[in-house]
Amino acid sequence: MATDPKIADSPIREIQVEALVVMRIIKHSTTSFPTPATGCLVGMDIGSQLQITNSFPFPASNPENQQTNSNPADPYHQSDQAALSLAAPRAKSSATYAGEMIKYLREVNVDAQGVGWYMSCSMGNFVSQAFVENQAFYQRGSEEKTVALVFDVSRSSQGSLNLKAYRLSPNFMAALKDNKFSTESIQKSKLRYQDIFIELPITIHNSHLLTSFLHQMPAAPPQKSALDFPASLAELHHDPNIATNPLAPNLESLDLSIDPFLEKTTDLMLESIEQHTTEQNNASYYQRSLAREQTKIKQWQEKRKAENVLRGQQKQPLLPEDEWQKLFKLPVEPSRLELMLVGRQVEQYARQVDGFNAVVSGKMFGVRGNLLPGEIA
Amino acid sequence: MAGDPKNYLHLARPLAPAPIATQSSAVTAPVTVTLHPQALFSILDHASRRPADQDRVIGTLLGTRSEDGTEVSISNCYAVPHTETAEQVEVDMDYQKRMLELHLRAAPKEVLVGWYATSGDLNTFSALIQNFYGQQGEGTWPHPAVHLTVGTKAGQDIEANTYISAPIGVTAERAADSCLFIPVPHEIKYDDASKSGLELIAGARDREDRSQFLQTDVEMLERAVEQVLEMLERVSNYVSDVLDEEREPSTALGQFLLNTLSLAPKVNPEDIEKDFNNHIQDVLLVSYLSNTIRTQIDLSNRLVTAALTMGPGDGAAATAGEGGEGKGQREGGGGGRGGRGGRGGRSGQAGRDQGRREEQ
Repeated sequence: MATDPKIADSPIREIQVEALVVMRIIKHSTTSFPTPATGCLVGMDIGSQLQITNSFPFPASNPENQQTNSNPADPYHQSDQAALSLAAPRAKSSATYAGEMIKYLREVNVDAQGVGWYMSCSMGNFVSQAFVENQAFYQRGSEEKTVALVFDVSRSSQGSLNLKAYRLSPNFMAALKDNKFSTESIQKSKLRYQDIFIELPITIHNSHLLTSFLHQMPAAPPQKSALDFPASLAELHHDPNIATNPLAPNLESLDLSIDPFLEKTTDLMLESIEQHTTEQNNASYYQRSLAREQTKIKQWQEKRKAENVLRGQQKQPLLPEDEWQKLFKLPVEPSRLELMLVGRQVEQYARQVDGFNAVVSGKMFGVRGNLLPGEIA
Repeated sequence: MAGDPKNYLHLARPLAPAPIATQSSAVTAPVTVTLHPQALFSILDHASRRPADQDRVIGTLLGTRSEDGTEVSISNCYAVPHTETAEQVEVDMDYQKRMLELHLRAAPKEVLVGWYATSGDLNTFSALIQNFYGQQGEGTWPHPAVHLTVGTKAGQDIEANTYISAPIGVTAERAADSCLFIPVPHEIKYDDASKSGLELIAGARDREDRSQFLQTDVEMLERAVEQVLEMLERVSNYVSDVLDEEREPSTALGQFLLNTLSLAPKVNPEDIEKDFNNHIQDVLLVSYLSNTIRTQIDLSNRLVTAALTMGPGDGAAATAGEGGEGKGQREGGGGGRGGRGGRGGRSGQAGRDQGRREEQ
């Protein structure tokens, strides 16, 4: 999209993922659905391409273990399972786990460079504070060339694999360093919510062994060039030569299911809107309380001035006029980061709906043309 | 790879109770093994990364067992470094233990079920390792350890075989490195979730560089439709050939086609039109709404930053002279509603109304 930050700004231009990593991520995400699954990626960076060659899941301990084992003063102590696994990529325990795993994997010739982390989501709801903090943690770390892979479980089950790679844009990283998202700083940096992420293109790569396996996977080609006709209907169903083969075309994408997707999307949109209004209310509350404080300060100052005039007339020492800074505390401005994240999330949903729209309209017109032959749409 | 599951003969040697090292009644009941593609891909990857001087590499299999132990499902695996010379074999047992612990932390349900090797032959070393994996304490005892071999010689078929073992041996000293490997049926199960990933991965197999871009939904739809069209073309060619008496008819095929075509529903055109219109409207409505919301949020975010160029910044030191005018500007600038106080209030109200209407 024209408004997205340019890929040229980032040190990495594209991602290459091994088939093994794709399968592992799929399996981990589907087994731990609906809790989000997180894990670490290892691989190597070659020039501007980042290659991901293996992955392993992070342990996200149960809340019961957490209460007995971990120290509640640990800043990453979480009590909810979903929040636990989301916090895992930047937790200290996970860092030691990952370090140890990588050390052992190096002994069996697996690439030993951590290149990022992955997480699973459902219907595109991955934009959150936790996601941004995780990726910032990785991008701030010793290796800057890291990426976040997001696998969407629900959309992938409807036919096509939905895997995206994101990095945080340099503008956003600079703003995050100060962790100041007040209106002035945003005004100065001209940061918009579209600028937060850079999306990178992904290619899937197979090894030679895997390619030969894929060629061999459907049963060996039949010996005769033309199969004999089956003798009966029952034989047709049981003939191993024509039984379903895992690499047969996946025609699930031709399924027409509209309502569940629309319902889920609208639910998620409503949640985002509620978050947005909450944030707006916080901001306006802040403004009002700030204004109240300002009026109080002014009144006090005027009183002081009047008093000082009186004292001046009575030749008494003047009272300082700066004391208002010690007496009154100005309210703190809430961070605008949530607002920006909500905006980005809504944009994600809108894009998904547009994509869905394209596919579903095509299918619907096709079905209609089939059932009502002769009518031109 | 496709061992025909109907033709397995399960041979179990009777176990002499006392003199053999494993005093227990290790189970040698028939076992069926299900292999998950993730494990298989991982084994292939490990085989391609093996050190140059080794012919075969081994590793541990993790998975789940059914209640009675007759069904084993292999869902994960990891490599274990080992060295093999003509006379002896060494397996790094600490590594195996430690990796098992690490994996159990991440996935407590996946337990040790056996081991794998990347070459198809079974020799003494295999027996030694098999006994190690099947032992009490750290092994899979009392369940049998499953041994999976995957032939990975370049140029030959990739063949997978699964075995369980039973002790065999003439004397007690030789019992530790002797083993009878009993083949058991195995099957590679592809669950629905992996199908979409597999399709993409398989799409790369015919290309020169073995890589494939991720495709958007529309492109996948196009591919699926093209495949269906091609299949329909083939079938219709066959049928017209049969009608022209150029090819042999087949009653079974004809019956199958008739059954399939009769699945097309017979419907009322008006109903179809109505349903179609309703659905199209639903989809368009949601698309329009989501784009409107996106625009509105974008607008409100821009107003936040733009409005402040008109008034003094927040938290600025209060200057006594500004008084009411300053107050009005700050209130207008806050909340991102707009420049002047009055207009800001109204557009903010409109935004809140919109949000409330949508919630209803």
